[in-house]
Amino acid sequence: MYHDTEYLTPVEVTDYVTEPVVRIEHVTKDFVTGGNLFRALDDVSLEIHRGEMIAIMGPSGSGKSTLMTILGLLDVPTSGTYWLDGQDVSALNRGQQARVRNQKLGFVFQNFNLLPRLSALKNVELPLVYGRLGAREREERARQALEAVGLGARLHNRPNELSGGQKQRVAIARALVGNPAMVLADEPTGALDTRTGAEIMGLFRQLNREQGITIVVVTHDPEIGKQMDRVVGLRDGRITENILQEYYHVGVATEELELPGRDPVPVPVQVEQQG
Amino acid sequence: MFKELGLMALDSLRANKFRSLLTMLGIIIGSATLVAVLSLGNALQSQVFERFVDLGTRRIAVLPGDPQARGARDVPGYGLLSIRDYQALEQLVARHPDVFRTIVPEVSLRVQARAGNSSVTSTVVGTTKDYQLVQTVPVMYGRFLTDTDDQQTARVAVLGALVAEDLFGKENVAGAIGRTIEVNGKPLQVVGILRQLGGPFSSDQRILVPVSTARLRIAGNQDLPGRGLQMSSILLNLQSERMVERGERLVTSTLRATRNVPDGVIDDFRLNLPTQALGVLAGINGAITGFIALVAGISLVVGGIGIMNIMLVAVTERTREIGVRKALGATDGDVLSQFVLEAVAISVVGSLIGVTSAIALVALVGAAAGLGVAISWVAVGLALAFACIIGIGFGYYPARRAALLLPIEALRYE
Repeated sequence: MYHDTEYLTPVEVTDYVTEPVVRIEHVTKDFVTGGNLFRALDDVSLEIHRGEMIAIMGPSGSGKSTLMTILGLLDVPTSGTYWLDGQDVSALNRGQQARVRNQKLGFVFQNFNLLPRLSALKNVELPLVYGRLGAREREERARQALEAVGLGARLHNRPNELSGGQKQRVAIARALVGNPAMVLADEPTGALDTRTGAEIMGLFRQLNREQGITIVVVTHDPEIGKQMDRVVGLRDGRITENILQEYYHVGVATEELELPGRDPVPVPVQVEQQG
Repeated sequence: MFKELGLMALDSLRANKFRSLLTMLGIIIGSATLVAVLSLGNALQSQVFERFVDLGTRRIAVLPGDPQARGARDVPGYGLLSIRDYQALEQLVARHPDVFRTIVPEVSLRVQARAGNSSVTSTVVGTTKDYQLVQTVPVMYGRFLTDTDDQQTARVAVLGALVAEDLFGKENVAGAIGRTIEVNGKPLQVVGILRQLGGPFSSDQRILVPVSTARLRIAGNQDLPGRGLQMSSILLNLQSERMVERGERLVTSTLRATRNVPDGVIDDFRLNLPTQALGVLAGINGAITGFIALVAGISLVVGGIGIMNIMLVAVTERTREIGVRKALGATDGDVLSQFVLEAVAISVVGSLIGVTSAIALVALVGAAAGLGVAISWVAVGLALAFACIIGIGFGYYPARRAALLLPIEALRYE
């Protein structure tokens, strides 16, 4: 469990030169359970920039998963606006949402969520099937995506023939294959052992560095938070931290962020974990 | 896209082979029944039709008018046929060789026949050689009547199988040829014996004699006042089935003229047309076929309900999969199509299995029973089309439930 967390000298991120991939403003999400109103997100505003690799962190019940579902257009906010890749997606119908998910978003889940009866290749092709691509192009792109995550030799294996790390690589290939504007990863290392988890995070970092892919990782794991360009902390449905950790990442104008007298901010999270 | 969905659907059938097969059972039975019944029904129908062709689909029978009919006139001897009608029709047949092939008289007399000590009550039919063309009278022993018999008013008789058995005993039938029988006390020589056919319309219980013999040697005075010999019926053989209507018109007008039937008064005779018999037969057959097809249809609908049931289970089982697909960009329509196609795949594959087994069964039964069996491809098409409709109809509701799932709830479903 999360306990006292002390953040040291947070740097508020304000100035970017690039157009944000994500801009949400005053987003609120209410749930009604058993007649009680529960506010999962309370007036959240956030920008995510192209090429950033950020972590959304917080204890369970903090609203990080809700924020993820709203960013992923898997759910709609109660109020507030959401621009994704320059488009207002706050008020799309179901069909349009599906289209945006297909074209602009890639998902990586904690438990992989691969379809068990499909080969790795077919799993990766799936978003392209819904994107109405032809069979030949689908297969070519899926093959490339699997090669990019180091699974060029396991194209025709089914998920039950792959290790956990390999499954997650397939899932990452599936998230990348449609050239999304942003990849959303929900506890991507949650079902993996430490070493494999580190490999997966390394892969994310590599893809981010080499291909400039915007990656948002939802996690409660501070070790993962350390490796991110930025950490957005949530608590009780509100953003409590928004901390830039590294200066060198792709989308940020370095000169804007090289504040006088400041060294790169050390990882500011101190965590006590029980159990 | 459609192809992808189709492959997915077939794949999910393979994933649950046994369950899919059980679900298909209703459709399999329904489709098989439909095809088997319609095919065998066709075969039976064509066989019965062939029998009818034997008896003459080219035949018009002129029968006495019904004195009880509405519009019948109250005159003595109303409706009865006589030799004058026969002669008028004989001339008609001679004038229209393109329509008619031949004309055959039929004089029926109730008689007592005797041979030695045996005696039976029977019907003598006075007719001609052409009787063979209008009735099924296959000769077993001896010969049939000839024109010479008629010209010479010969004392000869051709016996129906049962008459011959009754008079001479079952084992002596073949030896009856050349023997003499007495009909109403008049001696006749047996020249032929017919094969037994069975049924109320066969000649099994009749004695066939030349019409002149019947008239002059047996009937005594059967003449109608002022009209000559009474005839029980007159049979006309047509050149082809296509001549039925034309022949009917010609016969009707000729008879009305000969019999002085005034305009506006109903015919005082009846025509028995083959089309009527064929129509009735087809009607009966159609009713039976329709009923069994209905039963098959019910089986298909029950099968459809089974499909709906299993699809509802599948949607629940695969809620997470639906969530994943939606997260990856499947629209409601994509999910709907996927599950509808899956239901259609179950019903169509089931139907194909049913149809195939029905074709095998029909061929087997046909070979065993010696029927000329033709698969009813209409029934095959019908079964498959019906299966499609049932798949769509009963698959739609579960598919719609899948399509309307919220992606986030589907993803979180445990």
